[in-house]
Amino acid sequence: MSENEKPTVLPEDSKRKHVYDGIQEFNKRLPNWWLFTLYITIAFSIGYWFYYAQSGLPMSDGERVEAEIARIQTARLSSDLVIADANLWAMSRNEAFISAGKETYASLCAACHLPSLKGKSESIAAIGSDLTNGEWVHGGTPLAIYKVVDEGVLAKGMPPWGPTLGIKKTAEVVAYVLSYHEAPQ
Amino acid sequence: MSARSLTIEYNDKIVRQFMIASIIWGAVGMLVGVLIALQLNFFQLNFNTSFLTFGRLRPLHTNAVVFALVGNMMFAGVYYSTQRLVKARLASDFLSGLHFWGWQVIILSAAITLPLGFTRGKEYAELIWPINIAVALIWVVFAVNFFWTLARRHERSLYVAIWFYIATIITVAMLYIVNHLSVPTGLFHSYGIFAGVQDGLVQWWYGHNAVAFFLTTPILGIMYYFLPKAANRPVYSYKLSVIHFWSLVFVYIWAGPHHLLNTALPNWLQMLGMTFSLMLWAPSWGGMLNGLFTLRGAWSKLRTDPVIKFFAAGVTFYGMATFEGPLLSIKSVNALGHYSDWIIGHVHAAALGWNGFMAAGMFYFLVPRLWNKPLYSQALANLHFWLGLVGILLYVAAMWTSGITQGLMLNSTTEGGTLLSYPNFLDTLNTIRPLMLLRVVGGGLYLVGWLLMAYNIYKSVKGASAVNGTIEVVVEDDVPEEERPLGAMVTLWNPPVIFSALGTLFACVWMFGGPFLQIVGAIGTALSVMVAWVHFESKGKRWADWYERLLVSAAPFTVLTLIAVAIGGLVQIIPGIVSHQAASVEDRLQIPYTPLELAGRDIYVAEGCYNCHSQMIRTLVPDVLRYGDYSRLGESIYDRPFQWGSRRIGPDLARVGGKYPDSWHYRHMEDPRQISTGSNMPSYPWLNENDTDVAALPAKIRVQRMLGVPYAEMTSEEIQAAVDAQATEITAGLKAEGIYIAPDKQIIALIAYLQQLGNYETVTENVASRPNP
Repeated sequence: MSENEKPTVLPEDSKRKHVYDGIQEFNKRLPNWWLFTLYITIAFSIGYWFYYAQSGLPMSDGERVEAEIARIQTARLSSDLVIADANLWAMSRNEAFISAGKETYASLCAACHLPSLKGKSESIAAIGSDLTNGEWVHGGTPLAIYKVVDEGVLAKGMPPWGPTLGIKKTAEVVAYVLSYHEAPQ
Repeated sequence: MSARSLTIEYNDKIVRQFMIASIIWGAVGMLVGVLIALQLNFFQLNFNTSFLTFGRLRPLHTNAVVFALVGNMMFAGVYYSTQRLVKARLASDFLSGLHFWGWQVIILSAAITLPLGFTRGKEYAELIWPINIAVALIWVVFAVNFFWTLARRHERSLYVAIWFYIATIITVAMLYIVNHLSVPTGLFHSYGIFAGVQDGLVQWWYGHNAVAFFLTTPILGIMYYFLPKAANRPVYSYKLSVIHFWSLVFVYIWAGPHHLLNTALPNWLQMLGMTFSLMLWAPSWGGMLNGLFTLRGAWSKLRTDPVIKFFAAGVTFYGMATFEGPLLSIKSVNALGHYSDWIIGHVHAAALGWNGFMAAGMFYFLVPRLWNKPLYSQALANLHFWLGLVGILLYVAAMWTSGITQGLMLNSTTEGGTLLSYPNFLDTLNTIRPLMLLRVVGGGLYLVGWLLMAYNIYKSVKGASAVNGTIEVVVEDDVPEEERPLGAMVTLWNPPVIFSALGTLFACVWMFGGPFLQIVGAIGTALSVMVAWVHFESKGKRWADWYERLLVSAAPFTVLTLIAVAIGGLVQIIPGIVSHQAASVEDRLQIPYTPLELAGRDIYVAEGCYNCHSQMIRTLVPDVLRYGDYSRLGESIYDRPFQWGSRRIGPDLARVGGKYPDSWHYRHMEDPRQISTGSNMPSYPWLNENDTDVAALPAKIRVQRMLGVPYAEMTSEEIQAAVDAQATEITAGLKAEGIYIAPDKQIIALIAYLQQLGNYETVTENVASRPNP
């Protein structure tokens, strides 16, 4: 509705006496909801500062993250998967483990070891070694392979995947690689 | 009382010049924006050319939009409106011309140096030191020209638009100079005097307030002039103008640390950043309300007048963006949105919606007045509006979805929160690719609209002769008492200033004091507020009268504004400078770079790697699970510039050192897709061809030593020997992997740098008590 149509002129509709290049100014009161917004944000900020800076109650960000990471490590260690040569061979004959491992392999390992797992045997530009030819640079037992995936071999450029993958996914990937090999009788 | 009449002709030539410059540079800036947006989907679009890479062009895009589009537009609007609001011609035609041509030369030199890789490596502060000096000088020219004009004004009282211009000029000068303090190592390179966390704090104090005082306050001033003029309606509320102006300029400055939430920045600064951002919501909306409510009674013009269309939409986008800002400043929201496209959407809602639309509205308003000829086509202007609006909405919606999607994916965990759901970063990148493409469509539409405006204005002014506004003013030699400027004493000694000062002082005592002082501060703050309240209720007229007097006193007004904008920065920045640097490193201290690593780092900075990669693992579980232990501030304490980053188009690199072999990095830089299928990172073949600039190292290390990095004194020969030894070792290792590359190539220095990222020494008591270098 136009201001001009109002029957009476409220006090707050008074205009300032100064006119700047033809621009006039009303002097209306501040909208209440606007004032409440201002007051609420100020009140919240005071409370927030008191709680986080002065009450001594909350943990610091660093402490909170360290506590959570410690919990995660405990949870990972209490996995009921048994990592041993026999188990890993058994997993490598299990379709569920192989297909889950294949998925992780495609996402993380194939870049260096190639989708075929043949790595340097297939292409000179590949960074990872061949995982299918039975030659193992760091030991060929399932546990040794697991250790390489888990802890990495920094000197050779193999990153440690354990922290990213956890025990189960690491085991799956090892099972997938082992599925290319004959299990001992 | 003697009076004489005189005719004044405004300097509108300078307005026309700045306006045309803004339109042209704006088109260039947006074109670069569309190109780099496309590069994110089609990495080939840099054509394997160094100067067209994303890392070099993205700074060009941001600088062009901020300093060229908005800068020129702001100068046009400020000069047009100020002359009319104070009834005086600009003080000096020479200074006006110098301002215009100086600014264009600066933009041109930016457009040349940035693609060449000359950069300071800090966002919106990339320009190298000789250009920094030019910017500061031209800004002073602007300030002199403006204040000199105020001094010669025939309208004594300063209108609200002028308040915002004053705040703009002094605050941008303060921010720009402090954040660009550096020591040159050569003609094109310098190291900033601040390092690590200090550099980050100063950078975002600057960066955030460049948004505030370069992209917001001048445009608010422009809104206060052009919007009531175009709508032919009185401004909604003077009272609101007063409250929102002072709260805005005071509060804005404190909010900078919200760019560094959940990082290694000390927590008290993060808390200031978050709380002051929340408190900024209402002051910002005060400006929006005064804009939109002024349109009351003129809404019918929304259907017919493109100028009102652009202004109404522009102010609405301002309101959206200034609600979204506080929202994103909440630490837990920020954990999701930071480093993601959500931020990109946020800034473009403001840049395209607020700055771009206010600019367009102003240009359509100005053209008929500056050339005395109606606009060529209202229909084209309407088409521009709708193309622009649809463009912004597509852009912003795409970026919101993209940012929240990628944020959720990156932060998502599985197996009882012990594992990342998407350990491969590329999975999250490739999910948002369609959205990044949709953003190109939105941005493209907006650019088409802008070009339509350029065409429309070209057709309007073609063949028209430029006209300058004139006005008759009556000059009164005798100034009545109530229109004489305030003296220094009355400027500072009056109820509003005293109560504000007391309240701020006690609030700081409460926030930062020890247990006893906290109580004193809390009581003092409460008392100050209550007494002020009571005083205002009973003697409010005195406050109002004093303010009326302040409005005829340009110099006192400027001084009070400077005080209001300076406080936040002083409280946040000074403690870090005076406190014992080595004592504040938490438990870890960075190991200074070897000469080769330093050279590699400067290549990293020059290539603009920070535009896509952060070096800051936040205190958030998903960050730690993905990238390793959270970053401590001591680990980047010597970094000039700090490289914590603001966007992760690729993964964080804070602990990438030692994670992969040298050959991995070599092949990855040569063509990232050899290693990471689906990566959108550009290839960097020129790093294998260009030589590392070893000759510059002695000067660089000398400056680093001077700035306090604990380097042993080294001769040029020793530096050369150290470089050779490390480079030879890396090349030998690569050769064993079948990669043959000369040790003096840039890639070797870059690998040396990347491989030490994340190195630190644990701080013992001994190190911590070492005197400040």
